[in-house]
Amino acid sequence: MNKYVVLIQRSIREALRTPEALFPTIFIPLFFLVVNVGQAAEIFPSTSTPFLAGQNYAAFQLPSALLLAASFGTAALYLVEDIEGGYFDKLRAAPIPRTAIVFGRLAAEALKSAAIAIVMVLIALPFGIRIASGPLGFVLLILLTATWAVVFSGFMQLIALKTRSAAATNSAGLIFFPLLFLTPNFVPRPLLTRPMEIAATYNPVTYIMEGMRSLVLHDLEWPAIGRGFAVVAGAGALMVLFSVRSIRRYD
Amino acid sequence: MTYAIEAQQLVKHYTGRGGDVEAVRGVDLHVREGEVFGFLGPNGAGKSTTVRMLTTLMTITSGSARVAGVDVTADPEAARLRIGVALQEAGLDIRQSGRELVILQGRLYGLSPAQAAERANDLLKLVDLDGDADRRIKGYSGGMKRRLDLASALVHRPDVLFLDEPTTGLDPASRLTVWDELRRINDQGTTVFLTTQYLEEADQLCERLAIIDAGLIVAEGTPSELKADLRQRRGLTQEPTLDDVFLEATGRTRERAAGEVQEVHA
Repeated sequence: MNKYVVLIQRSIREALRTPEALFPTIFIPLFFLVVNVGQAAEIFPSTSTPFLAGQNYAAFQLPSALLLAASFGTAALYLVEDIEGGYFDKLRAAPIPRTAIVFGRLAAEALKSAAIAIVMVLIALPFGIRIASGPLGFVLLILLTATWAVVFSGFMQLIALKTRSAAATNSAGLIFFPLLFLTPNFVPRPLLTRPMEIAATYNPVTYIMEGMRSLVLHDLEWPAIGRGFAVVAGAGALMVLFSVRSIRRYD
Repeated sequence: MTYAIEAQQLVKHYTGRGGDVEAVRGVDLHVREGEVFGFLGPNGAGKSTTVRMLTTLMTITSGSARVAGVDVTADPEAARLRIGVALQEAGLDIRQSGRELVILQGRLYGLSPAQAAERANDLLKLVDLDGDADRRIKGYSGGMKRRLDLASALVHRPDVLFLDEPTTGLDPASRLTVWDELRRINDQGTTVFLTTQYLEEADQLCERLAIIDAGLIVAEGTPSELKADLRQRRGLTQEPTLDDVFLEATGRTRERAAGEVQEVHA
């Protein structure tokens, strides 16, 4: 267990020593939040829009911003640096479980994303957004964001291990944009056009977004929350499994 | 005879973009405990591939290898505990300080925080980096990085130390410093397996050496045995150099070898 902790500590130290990499992960999602709300808030006034549950449109958009903040996958870019610089081989030559190499980075990514999500929610509070599901809901919201970060970073790590290329890993991160936009990003699913609704229904990110949104707008709605956590648990298990297999087969 | 490294018919094939590559085609190695063994060869001869197989970093297509008495394929975890590795690229995390890196390496090998800190102090002194130990590695020179890599490879007191071209790219002064470290490490009983393209380095440091070319061992012995053998076979009047041995063994002429093998005189 100590070896896992040591590698998590190392990844956290790495993140803290590159604050320039942290800045965009907060700034860009907040930028999209402001722009999206600025464009659509007038169309959806809180007084006459039932799906806002009495809050403003920014509350509806907050989950998208949190998901975007958790989808930078910087852990994978650090991994490519390790591969290119030779430190990855140093770790592989050490008597440590292959899972420790994967989890060390992913756990640090989860902690980093949780911290960023807390900051973003705190920034949002003065603008009238509240977490309707209360303190437990707030914790679950942060947890869901952090576990999604693990899933997405796991996917990016997999690309990093397969391609060993910073350019390919960076490009793979762009897959998040179709995943994010084929969701009920601007309105709930029933209000989407039929083709978009079908696409959103097959997109697993939809269920994470709906889980997060239910935590912001409503009291604890366990079916929606459960679906969100089920998606991250399933996808997370697959990503970790494939990443560990990839390290074991790494030549 | 107890061997620190034993390899039998070691083979590595892989599929590259240009098709199938036979990187190593049946290498036998017998490295004695406590010796400095040199592994020479031109670029692409199979040196690094052999080292990567012996250090568990690469799968073995066929054949077998035992390092410090442990079968590297059957029990890679046990083998990793007994070997130290410093590869061609100094494998360092540049965002950490030298001390943090060595301590982290110690923790990965099971040392407690206090033991790892104490070991880091000793090793950083050994490689003459104690004055710079708390600086970020990013600011280290090439020589300092090599010495730090060496220190981190020694943190668990390995029985066998693999060094893949440890002095490539270093200035002559840094190269001599690394040579001194190697002698000191070997004096403490560690077997050293050294790959190098610098023939003078092999001549200075290695008790025995093997020359690999196109994935096969083409010559093996002590430097003086290899020179004497060449002198006798060619009927030379003067003592040949290790360069001559290398060129003859790999079938290269000086012209062909230009750019492939470099020589540095101490």
